[in-house]
Amino acid sequence: MTLFKKEMVENWRNKKWVWVPLVFILLAVMDPISNYYMADILGAVGGLPDGAVFEMPDFTPPEVVMMSLGQLSSLGVLIIVLISMGTISGEIKNGVSELILVKPISYTNYITAKWTALMLLSWGALIIGMLGSWYYINILYGEISIADFLSTVFFYGLWLTFIVSLSIFFNTISKTPGLVAFLTILTIMVMSALTKVFQHLLEWSPNNLSSYIMQMLIEGNIPSNLTGTALTTVGLSILLLIFSIVIFRKREIAN
Amino acid sequence: MEILESINWAVIAPLIFIQGILLIFAIIDWAKAEDTNGPKWLWFFVIIFVNIIGPVAYFLFGRKRS
Repeated sequence: MTLFKKEMVENWRNKKWVWVPLVFILLAVMDPISNYYMADILGAVGGLPDGAVFEMPDFTPPEVVMMSLGQLSSLGVLIIVLISMGTISGEIKNGVSELILVKPISYTNYITAKWTALMLLSWGALIIGMLGSWYYINILYGEISIADFLSTVFFYGLWLTFIVSLSIFFNTISKTPGLVAFLTILTIMVMSALTKVFQHLLEWSPNNLSSYIMQMLIEGNIPSNLTGTALTTVGLSILLLIFSIVIFRKREIAN
Repeated sequence: MEILESINWAVIAPLIFIQGILLIFAIIDWAKAEDTNGPKWLWFFVIIFVNIIGPVAYFLFGRKRS
């Protein structure tokens, strides 16, 4: 617990609790706004021949939610990876972890404290960011029910959980923060490629979460595939966490 | 003034507000920092003049991990 508190204090001191949620709001909100004003923007920039008429598609609220999630999936995930890349590997490198681990603290505690602090930060940022997006969708496009909104946030949060666990896992393997970030992103990319190639075999791959969320928003009920995918994602995250603890323990004892 | 009135403030105001907070926090942190990655004065201009991305870049790459 004290370790967890130390993590939270540290994340507050380096202002992560301020800027990460703010950036998530901006990311989530950017696409809904720019698409709403796209016609005006094109008109103001000019360069269109006289009489050119653009039929701008009218987006339905679920489509706009997906735009927000799309931004979070690319840039949001990148930010999570970047803030988490040094969380353990950096401490191993500059010796802080050794200072902590001479005290009677188990390796399990050390890893889970890091993981929980990161989880809280990314879930918090996601919730705040999506609230921003929800606000704009309600003014500009139309209603999304609270239930739909909450389930979107919940299921998408599982994807972020997976990213955090993946990053923690690589944190225990590598000592170089840059390499951690690279490996995490590489894994996500390879996974998404595999998911596309073996579409029929990997129906419950975590990469499919967003598309099932879309399906849920359109159809209005939770598809069984979404439940399956959610369970897979949670399972994989727990496995990654256990592996991280085992690897970390082995490595520290070897030292 | 017509332009000012035509803007939908319910849409724009929160964005300006968020950008403002981000900038203020980055500047306070920058002022307190003893040393940064790269020249300190350079980060000042990055934070002030690069919209949104400037402060974020500072938090991600400019801060020295202590």
